[in-house]
Amino acid sequence: MTLIGLYAFEKRALYEVLLIAVGAGLLGTWIVLRGLAFYTHAVAAAAFPGLVLAAGLGFAPMVGAAGTGALVAAGVGGASARRRAHYDVATALALVGALVAGVVLASNVFHSGAEVDSLLFGSLFALTDLDLVLAGVASVLALLGTVGLGPRWLATGFDATGARALGVRSRVPDLVLLALVAFASVATLAAVGALLATALLVVPAATARLWTNRLLAWQLTSVALTAALGVAGVWLSVRTNAPPGATIAALGGVAFLISALVNESGSLYRRRHA
Amino acid sequence: MIDARGLAIGYRGGPTVLTDVTFSVMPGERVGVLGPNGGGKTTLMRALLGELESRAGTFTIEGRQGTVPQTERSRLDYPVSALDVVLMGALGRGPWWRRPGRAERALAQAALERVGLEDRARETFGELSGGQRQRVLVARALMQDADIVLFDEPFTGLDTPSAARLTALIDALAAEGRSVLVSTHDVGQARAWDHVLCLNGRMIEFGPPEHVLTETVLAETYEHAVIRIPDGWPRGVTQSAGASARA
Ligand SMILES: Nc1ncnc2c1ncn2[C@@H]1O[C@H](COP(=O)(O)OP(=O)(O)O)[C@@H](O)[C@H]1O
Ligand SMILES: [Mg+2]
Repeated sequence: MTLIGLYAFEKRALYEVLLIAVGAGLLGTWIVLRGLAFYTHAVAAAAFPGLVLAAGLGFAPMVGAAGTGALVAAGVGGASARRRAHYDVATALALVGALVAGVVLASNVFHSGAEVDSLLFGSLFALTDLDLVLAGVASVLALLGTVGLGPRWLATGFDATGARALGVRSRVPDLVLLALVAFASVATLAAVGALLATALLVVPAATARLWTNRLLAWQLTSVALTAALGVAGVWLSVRTNAPPGATIAALGGVAFLISALVNESGSLYRRRHA
Repeated sequence: MIDARGLAIGYRGGPTVLTDVTFSVMPGERVGVLGPNGGGKTTLMRALLGELESRAGTFTIEGRQGTVPQTERSRLDYPVSALDVVLMGALGRGPWWRRPGRAERALAQAALERVGLEDRARETFGELSGGQRQRVLVARALMQDADIVLFDEPFTGLDTPSAARLTALIDALAAEGRSVLVSTHDVGQARAWDHVLCLNGRMIEFGPPEHVLTETVLAETYEHAVIRIPDGWPRGVTQSAGASARA
């Protein structure tokens, strides 16, 4: 094996991270902008009991994940229509409930054992065709949403009262955003599992935000960074035998930390020499 | 046109914070809203915008409303250009799935030109000066062709030239037949407008400035305004109302 020679499973993993990068990178910017990181984490975690059920009862894992994920997305989305405080509490309860349900199902009902690991942290080296299709669909939908509804998502986040006065009355665009994020969380399960969805959906976008103040530049950087982290994570995990999902998450964390430090020292420098 | 009768407003799950508000604003009129901090100026504007429900009374609003809200930190750290903000004024025109296009961008650029910011279109909103940000928000109201424009303490923190510019803009909006409601701490400024609305938890007075801006009304408007010293003990010190009333 040379550095450039790739295993078949490795190639598939690369396709997966590249396919999901567009959707995850774009939605990531909206998640950061609209304060949906906690929601994203909860919806992905909610997929965990669904996945355990699917494995235990022998139906398609994505059906289970989408089922429980959608349940939480709808509940939390409904709560967010009322009040911010309700939304946070509802999200937290859903998150804890989902993990407890998943753990009980896995340990006491189905005795799932080793596969729990891959449900929680992803299984990039055992992808099905459906996983790849799902990643592609999530990206296409995220792109369409960003192009069509982006201006409304932007206006509501900028000034919610003002947006309503401006005639942005329909709740549909915001509900579409919540639904797209939920769909993308489920689509990233194969790559990073139920607990690390934010490694693709939040961390790269939050990192890119440190480098730019312009929306388009932010979105492009976020997509590029998601892709780069995914590719680097896959490559590194094959060479080090580390789990790929966790490797991507770790690389993302390092990239964020370096960006934050560089930015902080940059602004310190500017303040001192102003 | 705004017409409010016996309005009472409160926050959900909280007490009523503003009562007995009766006033009207005709097209082309400028109304100054005076009151101490916590007097209810922002609350009134949020109610007019439909964000808070009235607990008593009624109000009628005819026409599109535009708003120039108080500066919030979150808005300064937002990745939008001046042009993006103005373009938000076009979102009410189309159905929810339509994004503003080329025609709207041209209109937005023209609105920025009207407020004298045509060369700042691509700059980040949060990096503009306070006065420039207010004018971008005015351009957003122009973009939506608002019949009523609500300004919440737009003069706070502006230097004299910026304030003069904004005053001229407010006059121009009214001259075009738009109703303008401006909350302010500057009694002298309110004197130049068509009506004054004094709030202090309830409506103290509403009418033309020469009737409303009297010692008695201003004392009542700014009474109970307490300065809270850091450890939280309220003291019955009237806020610098005397000074600004004389100004
Ligand atoms: N979100 C809120 N929830 C509950 N009470 C509020 C809220 N915002 C303001 N208030 C209360 O309403 C009153 C009027 O406040 P406000 O309208 O902001 O005054 P002003 O704008 O004149 O300074 C105050 O007593 C304040 O404590
Ligand atoms: Mg206020």
